[in-house]
Amino acid sequence: MNILVLIWKNSVRKKMRFSLTCLSVLVAFFLFTTLSGINYALNNSTSGINNYRLLTSHKISMTNALPINFAEKIKAIKGVDKVSYSSWFGGFFQNEKQQVAMTAVSAQSFFAIHDEYQLSPEQLVQWQKTQTGVVIGQEIADKFHWQVGDNIPLSSSIWMQRNGLFTWQFTISAIYQGKTASTDNKHIFFHHKYFDRARAYSQNGVSWITTKTNKSADSEKIIKAIDKMFANSPSPTRTITEQVFIREQAQQFVDMAMVIKIVLSAVFFTLLLIVCNTMIQIIRERLNEIAMMKAIGFSTNAIISQIYAEAFLIIGLGAFIGSLLATLTLNLVRAKMADILTGIHIPVSHYLTITAIIIFAAAICCLFPFISIRRLPISQTLGAKQ
Amino acid sequence: MHSIQLVNINKTYSKGSNKVVVHNNVNLNIKSGEFVAIMGPSGLGKSTLLHLMGGLDKATQGEIIIAGEHLEQLNETQLTQWRSENIGFIFQSHHLLPVLTAQANVELPLTLTPLTKKQRQQHAQIALDLVNMSDRANHLPKELSGGQEQRVAIARAIVSDAKILLCDEPTGNLDRNTADEILSLLAKLSRDFNKTIIMVTHDTKASKYASRVIDLELYLQSEECAKPPSQYTSLKTEATIEDNRG
Repeated sequence: MNILVLIWKNSVRKKMRFSLTCLSVLVAFFLFTTLSGINYALNNSTSGINNYRLLTSHKISMTNALPINFAEKIKAIKGVDKVSYSSWFGGFFQNEKQQVAMTAVSAQSFFAIHDEYQLSPEQLVQWQKTQTGVVIGQEIADKFHWQVGDNIPLSSSIWMQRNGLFTWQFTISAIYQGKTASTDNKHIFFHHKYFDRARAYSQNGVSWITTKTNKSADSEKIIKAIDKMFANSPSPTRTITEQVFIREQAQQFVDMAMVIKIVLSAVFFTLLLIVCNTMIQIIRERLNEIAMMKAIGFSTNAIISQIYAEAFLIIGLGAFIGSLLATLTLNLVRAKMADILTGIHIPVSHYLTITAIIIFAAAICCLFPFISIRRLPISQTLGAKQ
Repeated sequence: MHSIQLVNINKTYSKGSNKVVVHNNVNLNIKSGEFVAIMGPSGLGKSTLLHLMGGLDKATQGEIIIAGEHLEQLNETQLTQWRSENIGFIFQSHHLLPVLTAQANVELPLTLTPLTKKQRQQHAQIALDLVNMSDRANHLPKELSGGQEQRVAIARAIVSDAKILLCDEPTGNLDRNTADEILSLLAKLSRDFNKTIIMVTHDTKASKYASRVIDLELYLQSEECAKPPSQYTSLKTEATIEDNRG
């Protein structure tokens, strides 16, 4: 018998309570680690493949169009490999409940930059030759049972044609496959030239310009060069990496970092209350045993050390399993979201933070027990005063 | 020598705004190796006296000298250390840890010593053997009878070779036969191992086993109680006081 055995046996004395408390800690640390991994990806968007793709839009808003000739000017900047441009179309099939994501793109360069959309060279050529042709994702083809060669009417609630119609006729020229499981397979791409010619207004305007840099180029420098080039033009620009763009899109709905902070604060506060309550219950149940231990020579510090070790065990075990599960989950998520959110990663500093939280939380949880044990009158507790 | 001397002991408790005097100027001298049974009706302060001797409680005034050590001079940490080295406690409720086996319960006080694991096990086995509980060493307290639990508690009290055993109603929860077994075991420890045993009890049969019985009700009214022991070393005078009362 040694004290570690006593600590372990005391910890698991009430197995249900031990399990449930560990579970609550597990959930807290699972959330903490998962959200931290995602937050890391959002905050470290300059790493990864998307760092080579830059998006340039109007400084005020993406709804303000940029002149299409900006693309050629950007291409002249040193370090730029390829340039493409796109405009958001929106769109729906038959009725507005069947929304489809549609983008007008540069036929010559879009798929050269976006290699995550994979289609056969023959189909690509076929599409490039067909003015009203569209390239659709496999998922949307399956959904509407569309095939190459089908003529499909797609409508927009924004873009009116010169003839006053909001319904546009397209021909399916190609069906693309996503490079990975996480690639968006529900998109429809069509010719920007056709879009530009047919729409009733905003000719020669694009929503954004995509720039692919050379791998050896410094993206930060190119970003500054692009924005500096158009700073005094009627359409000043704002250039960001694609990943920052994705993060900003996500944060239009919700500020992830803020959500993480709020969720984690609530979770850890609740966690502290739960474990504190458990430790107070434990002490209350064991007052006689603690008084006996004090009587036979265990110091207050020795007993509180054991209680601390129990709190550390409960929090540590829950934190370990929770973080492990979160790490495994993030590994799965990383593969699924490779194209949307790269750089999901749990840095070593996160594990150090977890260790610090365990140590600190266990100490907080032992505060009330420490006071109780220190003040514990042995003779009264052993129930023998007369 | 593990004699116990209580000199001019006062013990007062506060209950709200009232002060309850439990002991007023109590003197008591117990010689090393004595088996003393303290008896008397409830409310006289028997257990309080026992707890004062064990350093579980502090006297409001007075001196407690055990084996030459003045307990009133010790702080909480020193008292804890002193208890672990000198005192074995046996309570009415045995207070065994329910998660530990009999063997592990007996080993518990030894975890405070520098003994190795093997040495601790050996000591615990000897102690359990002494109380005829070696065959139940691996049983949990809930698997033992009341008498067996009390035997394990006695083994725990003697395993550190404490020279003084303080027993608070050790037979209070036991039937007659089991109580007799426990009392004869305590008498044996006093007789064969020269343990100083002070036992607070209501058990009238205790007198058969104890070498001295103190009826506290009578004792508190006696002249012996009112006067300090005939010889003790007072810290106040730093001198050995000899009583010449005759």
